[in-house]
Amino acid sequence: MAAFSYRQAEEIRDAFAAHEVRYLFLGKSGAILLGYPDTTQDADLFVERSPENGVRLVAALARLGFTLSGSDENDIRRGKDFVQLKDGPFDLDLIFAPDGIERFEDAWQRRIEVAEFPVCSLDDIIESKRAANRAKDRESLPRLIEFRDWWRARR
Amino acid sequence: MIDEATRREWIREFEAAARRPLAQRFDYSFIKTYKPVMDDARFRSFDTMEDYRRWCEENLPPWLGYGRV
Repeated sequence: MAAFSYRQAEEIRDAFAAHEVRYLFLGKSGAILLGYPDTTQDADLFVERSPENGVRLVAALARLGFTLSGSDENDIRRGKDFVQLKDGPFDLDLIFAPDGIERFEDAWQRRIEVAEFPVCSLDDIIESKRAANRAKDRESLPRLIEFRDWWRARR
Repeated sequence: MIDEATRREWIREFEAAARRPLAQRFDYSFIKTYKPVMDDARFRSFDTMEDYRRWCEENLPPWLGYGRV
C-alpha cells in the first residue's frame, strides 16, 4: 500500500461532509494539516460518538471503499473507543475517546478549519499526546509544543 | 529543555514548511513502512483506550514506540 496522500485526505473530507459525519483530524495528521513539518504513517480521526453519527460514519466508510463485515460495522456504530482499519484504500484510525480530551463537543468548539478540513486545536493534539504518554509521543512533544507557540505567534 | 540552536533550526523548518502549498507539504509528510504485528490484521477494535494501550505494550515490538513511558 502506498503512503496516505492529500488526495485521500480530500476524499475523507468530501465523503464525511456528504454523509454529515462529525469528526476532527487528530494526532500528527492533524498537526500536519496545520503546517507542522514531520512524518507519520496513518490518519487519526476523532469521531463523535452517537448512534446517528455511527450510522453516518459507516455509510461514509463504504463510500470511501472500506470493506466492513457486519461485526466491524457494529463496532463502529457502537463507537468503541478505538477502531483500526487496515483493509481499505488507506489505513485509518478511528478514535472515539482520545486520551486527554474529555468531550467531542469541547474539541469541536476549539477546532481549526484548514481547506475545509476540521482539525483539533494544537492544544488538544498536544494534550492527547501528553496523556497517551507513549515513548514516541514523549519524543515528539517538545518540537510540537514549539510549533504551537510559533503558529500562535504568526496568527 | 531544548537548546537555542535546536529551537532556531526548528523555526527554520516551520517557516520553510509554511512556504509550501498544503497538498505538497501533506504529501511530503506521509510515509509507509511495514509495522510488524500492527499491520498484520485487517481490522481491530478496542472497548477502551486502556485496552488498546495494553494490547500495544503486550504485542508490539518495543522499538515501534507504542509502549507507555
